[in-house]
Amino acid sequence: MEKERRIVVPGDFLGTSEEFTPGTGVYDEKGNIYASLTGGVSISDKRVIEVIPKVETPPTPEEGDVVIGRIEDIRDTLAVVSIACVKGKEKREIAASTQGIIHISNIKSGYVTEVQHEFSYLDVVKAKVIDAKTLRLSTEDKDLGVIKAICARCKGDLKRKGNVLACERCKRVEVRKISEDYGKGLV
Amino acid sequence: MKKEEIELIKDGKRLDGRGFEELRPIKIEVGVLKRADGSCYFELGDNKVIAAVYGPREMHPRHFQDAKMAVIKYRYNMAPFSVDDRKRPGPDRRSVEISKVSREALDPVIIKEYYPKTAIDVYVEVLQSDAGTRTAGINAASVALAAAGIPMKDLVSSVAVGKINGEVVLDLNAVEDNYGEGDMPVAMVARTNTITMLQMDGRFSQEEFERGLKLAATACSKIYELQRTALLERYSESIGEGEA
Repeated sequence: MEKERRIVVPGDFLGTSEEFTPGTGVYDEKGNIYASLTGGVSISDKRVIEVIPKVETPPTPEEGDVVIGRIEDIRDTLAVVSIACVKGKEKREIAASTQGIIHISNIKSGYVTEVQHEFSYLDVVKAKVIDAKTLRLSTEDKDLGVIKAICARCKGDLKRKGNVLACERCKRVEVRKISEDYGKGLV
Repeated sequence: MKKEEIELIKDGKRLDGRGFEELRPIKIEVGVLKRADGSCYFELGDNKVIAAVYGPREMHPRHFQDAKMAVIKYRYNMAPFSVDDRKRPGPDRRSVEISKVSREALDPVIIKEYYPKTAIDVYVEVLQSDAGTRTAGINAASVALAAAGIPMKDLVSSVAVGKINGEVVLDLNAVEDNYGEGDMPVAMVARTNTITMLQMDGRFSQEEFERGLKLAATACSKIYELQRTALLERYSESIGEGEA
């Protein structure tokens, strides 16, 4: 990977499309390649030209990213999640729609009869993006799932007791797809 | 409306001592606001404006979202203390219009398709005004957008030309604006000479218009260089860290 020392700003001419393949941070107009971000120029061995941004760029959820969100709605076959942030990109608001969807088939590896058995309204969940365009999420892994939940009856905090969650105040027991990070405050 | 005639040109110089084709001094500072995603402070003579960019972020209300691209929201606002007489705070006819034309001046350079269903908020606050605040605002907003890491095809530069005592001059100040015969703010992409905003108030003959446009174009190139330098200076050594 060859790296040029040059710093460019949007609109700086970098080369022609005969010389380079445009990568990220650049755009092609009439066969000329210009920078679209502020940063350093980098040219790969395959002559892909890119601008490595020096500025912080707007975060978007990509496939495989871990996101944190809250259950907003529960339907027959899916749960609607309002995504708060993408792991590793917490500094800025996410530059996309924040409504993600967990389909019943992506909740866990076993058979799920009802979404309500795994999630409840206002649960905080950790999930992985499986389709960035439509914001489909999955909680199949061990570390994914509910990381914080409140009691349906008294709204008190639920504590993890083995494979279930128990309310300390009213002793109600609830089931969820629990993340192994439940209640740790870890993301 | 009759305006009193006053002498705006003395011995081939303007009242503030500038030549006809001279810009007021410009100062640009990038990343002045901690909590904005991108910001810029811009001084053009006695004009002081600050631009803040937030987003792209989810567009609310949702029915204003565009499924194919980001929506740009631009707010030009004058502080109550920015003018001699206190300005009544809040949007008015003038600032709504300026917001609209300024948004459209920046619109063609922003690559909006990368962030569908989002809004890019641009807030321009005029802290002190001395004619030409919309052009200062566009210059500031353009730098702030670049600092926010929003993909852009180019930077937009903007300047006004005007007519005082029958002469076409560059970059009017408040006195010249009030007592002059015309004012023409221009925004353009300096590299390609693409005009993205062109307004005119007063009367210009065709020759005067063409001369004014040429003046504006050379001034925009100068401003572009300053904008560029400001960005380069801000981001040359830092490694993306400490982004304000």
